[in-house]
Formats: sequence, structure tokens, C-alpha cells
Amino acid sequence: MTAANDVVSSAAPAGPLISQRALIILGRCVFAGLLLWAWQWSANEFGIIFFAPPLAVVQRLYEMAISGEMFFDVWATLRISMVGFVIALVAGLILPFLLRLSARLTEAVEPFILWSQGIPKYALAPWLILWFGIGDTPKIVIVVLMVFYVIFITTFAGIRAVDRRLINMARIMGANETVISREVIWKSMQPFFYAGLKVALPRAVGACIVGEFLVSTQGVGYYIEHSRELSDTVGVFAGIVLATTLVLVINMIVEKMEKAALAWRPVDRT
Amino acid sequence: MTAPLLEIRNLGKRFASRQGREAATWVIQGLSFSVPDGEFLTIIGPSGSGKSTLLNMIAQIDVASDGEILFNGDNIGVLDQKSLKPGLDRRVGYVTQDDNLLPWRTTLDNVLFPLEVQGRLDDKARARAESLIKAVGLSGYEKYYPHELSGGMRKRTSLIRTLVYDPPVILMDEPFAAVDAQTRTQLQEDLLRLWEMGRKTIIFVTHDIAEAVALGDRTLVLTKQPTRIASEHKIPFGRPRNVKDIFALPGFAQVYESIRAEIQ
Amino acid sequence: MKRHRLLIDRILVCIALLALWQLASWYFGVYWVSTPRLTIVKFYNSMMSGEMLRHAGYTIEEAFIGAVIGAVPAIILPFTLRRLPGWVSVIDPFMVGGYGAPKLALAPLFILWFGIGIESKIALVASVVFFIEYFSTLSGVRSLDAKLVQMAQLVGANERQVARHIVFPGAVPNIFAGLRIALPYGIGAAVIAELISSNRGLGYLVQIGAMNFDITQVFAAILGATFVVLAVGWFVDETEKFLLRWRPPADSLMEQIHT
Repeated sequence: MTAANDVVSSAAPAGPLISQRALIILGRCVFAGLLLWAWQWSANEFGIIFFAPPLAVVQRLYEMAISGEMFFDVWATLRISMVGFVIALVAGLILPFLLRLSARLTEAVEPFILWSQGIPKYALAPWLILWFGIGDTPKIVIVVLMVFYVIFITTFAGIRAVDRRLINMARIMGANETVISREVIWKSMQPFFYAGLKVALPRAVGACIVGEFLVSTQGVGYYIEHSRELSDTVGVFAGIVLATTLVLVINMIVEKMEKAALAWRPVDRT
Repeated sequence: MTAPLLEIRNLGKRFASRQGREAATWVIQGLSFSVPDGEFLTIIGPSGSGKSTLLNMIAQIDVASDGEILFNGDNIGVLDQKSLKPGLDRRVGYVTQDDNLLPWRTTLDNVLFPLEVQGRLDDKARARAESLIKAVGLSGYEKYYPHELSGGMRKRTSLIRTLVYDPPVILMDEPFAAVDAQTRTQLQEDLLRLWEMGRKTIIFVTHDIAEAVALGDRTLVLTKQPTRIASEHKIPFGRPRNVKDIFALPGFAQVYESIRAEIQ
Repeated sequence: MKRHRLLIDRILVCIALLALWQLASWYFGVYWVSTPRLTIVKFYNSMMSGEMLRHAGYTIEEAFIGAVIGAVPAIILPFTLRRLPGWVSVIDPFMVGGYGAPKLALAPLFILWFGIGIESKIALVASVVFFIEYFSTLSGVRSLDAKLVQMAQLVGANERQVARHIVFPGAVPNIFAGLRIALPYGIGAAVIAELISSNRGLGYLVQIGAMNFDITQVFAAILGATFVVLAVGWFVDETEKFLLRWRPPADSLMEQIHT
């Protein structure tokens, strides 16, 4: 769903179009300015209890960076997200390949997997907290649950979507099953895999932050929720800006990885 | 006379009808022919006459329901799914109607693919791939991905990808069906030129009479379902041939007409 | 025959899962893992007394109002901007940013602004639904077949008629693909906001159960929330099927990855 830049990049060469591109960039700057102004205006209008002014937020972020608190919180969040993500990634990749071995088992468990997707995973948090206490474990479990389904379903769909004709072609040319798994199935799954990754990685961080709202003594989510409890609106805003930046940076990294790995695909993809 | 390289005896294929309500129908029944080593055989038949099914059975990606397929005198006809050996240990190559290029591999890597999976990727193999790429005019496109090539270029890539590992028999299932007439003539010339270099055994299926006559040493005409051989036609032209001028040759109209009459 | 076997297989899997749950309950104790029977009895009683329905009703109300507030502008915007691709590119980076941003992290902010009542949940649901629906609709409007538009213009359709008869029907599948993702996610968001701070709703029911160390209550409430999510998904699917009778059936696995 990255609709970004399609319009701009598809209209590149001729002369007058360059000025159109400049217009768009100008428009973006104006829009950003408008948003900032609306933010400042809201802060003046509703008061600092409800709306932290942009400058105060910037200053708070600066203070957090200077004191090292920012890196401490970001690291805490990233650590939990990554541990959960890796566990879910391994399980979500291996399980569909195992299910591939038995069509009968796949058919039998499929509806249960789809139904279990409907469980609001966050609602398990209070129970997990009771069970595991307030350490890392309940948050990791939440991240695993949130990420697992995404990876599992994309891998599953990816394996299913592999073109049978390519597999036949490789067999005729003398490829064995290992080669086919690696060279045909894994490769043609890549678009699915990255589609999953693009949803899963930001979601891992998002899930961790929500986990931190519910139970934590550290992390970006803890910082936001703690600030809210103290009625420290500037803190809430700063925390949200930090969380958003973190997720967007991760998004960018995944997009770069995808672009490099999927260079073989036609560019006009949706 | 030497024994044929490939012999089909009384071959039959039956598909179970949907939901198993009616009796299974025979798509192919009692089909027999043989192909000597080095022959360019063309097979022509009406659409839906089970031409692809026939090739699938020879290539061993589909089971036969009846009859025998002999390769060098050995019976390789297989009646159950599990003992299928696709490609018969690389002795049967198969160029399908879809190019089936791996979209994540460049032209060169696609051509090298069979050598790579067969563990035969050495300098000699690379040189052979390069020379084939050159022979079909794809030099300069080695680093292009399939989606960046034209339909004709993809066909050429798919063709030389099979030629590169040198299987004794090559099956071709309407490989030039989906391209425009001019490109098709060009591809046919390329194919004949490549074939002259090695004289492999080729079984070429098409629904285009002119193509069957222009390429083949011999043409088999198939019947409607259940498919069997309707007739056999020797093609009276020598080699090398010029595909562009084939229509003008004496005897062309006669062969063409007699095949056309068979098909109706 | 084959259908029969599949049904038996699935019943066996179902029994195995319930047995596993029961075993876990014996092993860890009912105090930590409630039994399937207790959970279902609690769920049934809760339904009968009306308590479950009341809380589910709150959650559905939050999700519904939030979804309408989020989805309506998200659907209208791409249509309005269809003839103005420049404007679409101007707002694009902001929309991409909003789409990628962790909206659930806004929950404390909305609670701060709107209090612990229904308004904060509605705001959260709307912010979640808006961005998903915007990009779905946009891709529908963009992937529009230019030839169909040309054909309509050739037979004399004006701009409004093109929008009404070509663009909108063409985008309906995308609008629904968006809803299929956004609505269950929206319900999840409502439940999360209730978990963090609320005095009613299914999330509140879970939280209260946990506070009273009543695991059966927690499980029953989660079961209720799961039913709500599945029911909404089913409802969207059926509506889509009805509206898209003209479309050949397609595999929708890719659409499910977001839920």
C-alpha cells in the first residue's frame, strides 16, 4: 500500500513537468507548515494541559536525548520487539513449510487458524500479566502473537501462489526438491514475504508499545502512559513523536530492503 | 533400419469426470507412433485434442492411463503418479507454450539455471550459454529481467534454456503461439538454424498448418477426442530451409491442402 | 466421501484443541487457566443475564461510530481528488506517515483529551480506520481502467456519470478490502482503549476479571470479543459478496494479512 511518489515518478522527463514537481514539493512544505500552525494554534486555544506546543515538545525530546533517557527507552522497546519478532518470524516461516508436507492436515487446521486470528490479542495482556508478572515475558508474548499471524499467513499464501508450471519446469531440468524449495518456492515467495515483513515489523514495535502501556517500568510506551498519569502533556506528545519516528524509520528500512530484494519485479506494481 | 529413439504404443489417457457422476472419458486412446533419432516431427491437431496431455505424458509430468512409451527400447510409460520422473533424467527437454522463465533471474541466469541445478556449471557450460545467447541475437540483454524483454525475446530465452543442457529429445508445445506473425517467422528461422547445428530429435506440437509443414520432416495429424493419429505426411522439402519462402515452393500447396482436409 | 473425511478431521482437531486446553487447566490449575467448560458456562450465563451483551454493545457502538467517522472521509477523499493528482502527491507523504504511525500509541492522548468515556475510543477507532481505508480506496481509484472511462466518455457520459457508473463500482472491491482489514482492527483498537482506561465494554470486562483474579471471567470476555470480531468479518464478507456478484471469485488470503 505504499502509494508514495507514483504520480511524481511516472511523470518525469519533459520540461514543464519539472516545475510541476517543484509545485508539489512547495505544496508539501505549505501543508507541513499548515499542520504545524494548526498544532501551535490548538496549543494556544486548548491550553497546555491538552495540547503541548511544538517547541515544548522539541525541547523535551532534546532533553531526553541529552540525558540519555531517550536511548534507554528506545532500546527497551526495540529489544522486546525484536525478541518477539524473531520468535514469531521463525515459527511463522517454519510452520507453513511443515504444513506443506500434508495437505490433509493443512485442510483440517486451516479454519481454526483463521478463527484464532479473530481473538483480540491485546485482550490477553491482563491475563498474561497475572501469569508472568510485570517482566518482559508478557510483552514478548503479545508481540509474538501480533506478529506470528502476519508472517504465517503471508508465507502460507506465498507457498500456495507458487506457479506450478515453474516447479514442473525445474523438475524436468533435473532440479531436486531442495533446489526447488530454495530456487523456485522461496524466491517466488519473496513478494509475499516482504509484504508480510512490512506489516509485521512496525506492528512488532506497535504491539510492544501497547504492551508497555499496560505493564512496564521502561520503554517508549511506558514513557507515554506514565506522562499521561502525571498529566504531563508535553511528555505524552514527545513520547508519541518518538514512537511514530521509530516506526517510520523501521518502515523505511524495510522498504529499502524490499526494493533491493525485488529488483526483478516490474516497477508498476501497486 | 535402426530402432526408433522414441516409440508410443497404444497410448491412452482418461480423465475422471467431475464429481465422478459419469463414466471417465478417454481424451487419448490407442495412439501409436515412433520417432527416429534426429527427426524433426511436427504434430498438428484441433484445439482440445489433448496435444499438451500427450507431451506431458512423454515428459513424465503426467501419468498415462494405458499403453506404453518406449525410450531407446525401454518402457518408460508410467501408470502411477509417484514413480514419475519429470524429464526422464534430463533426457527429455520441454519447451512449453508459456515461457516459464524465472522472473527473478536475468536472461543469462535463466539460461544457466538448468546447468546450475544439474551441477554442471563450468566454464565450458558458460561459454555454450554465451554462444547460444549470441546465436539468437540476445547479446546485450544478458542482464535483463524477463519483464524487461519482449515476448519474442522471452521465447528465445526459453528455447535456448532447454537447448543449453542438450537433452536428446526436445518436446515443444506450441512455443510460438502467442507472438505476432512476423516475430513467429523469425523465431522459426532461429529454431531451424539452431536445430541444423545439432539435429536433436524434436517433437513439435502446433495448430498452425503452415508452421507444421515449414518446420517438420514429417507431420502427424491428430483426430478429435478421443485422440489418435489420423494421418501421416512426409514433408517433401530439403534442408536447410528458408521459412520465409516456403509458401512459394512447389508442392507446398498440395501438402497444406491435404493436411487441411484431414483436420476438418 | 472426501468432504466427509475433512469434516471428521476438523472435528478431531477441534477435540484435540479442547483437550489441550483442558490439560493445561489441570496442569496449571483452574486459578491460572480456566477450563473450557467453566468458560462456556460463564459465557452462557453472562449472555443470559444480559451483562455480556451490554458490554459487547458498548464496544460495538464505539467501533461502529468510530468506523463511520474514519471511513466516510477516507472513501470520499480519493474520489474528490481523482482529477487532481497533484493534490494527491502533496498530501501523500503525510498520509503514508499517518498510515505507518502506531495509532494505538495515541490511546493515552485521546484519553487525555476526551476522558475515559466513549469519545476517546471513537477517536482511536476512527484514526485507525481512516488511513487503512484511504489507501485501499485510493488504490481502487488509481487502478481504474482508463479504457472504460474512455468508452463511457465516447458514449457521452459526463464527469459525474463517469464517477457514478465507472469509478465507484470499480473501486468497490478495494473499499471492501479496506473495510475487511480496518473493521476488525478497529474493534481491537476499541478493546485496547477499554483495557487502558474505561468503565465499560468488553476490554473493561477483561480488565475487571483480571483485577479480581477471575480467569474464567477473563476467558469468557475474550471469547465474547472474538465472536464480535468474527461476526463483523463475516458481515463484511457477506455484504461484499452480495454487492460484487459480478466479480469472479478471487483468493483473498493476501487481504487477510493485515487483520
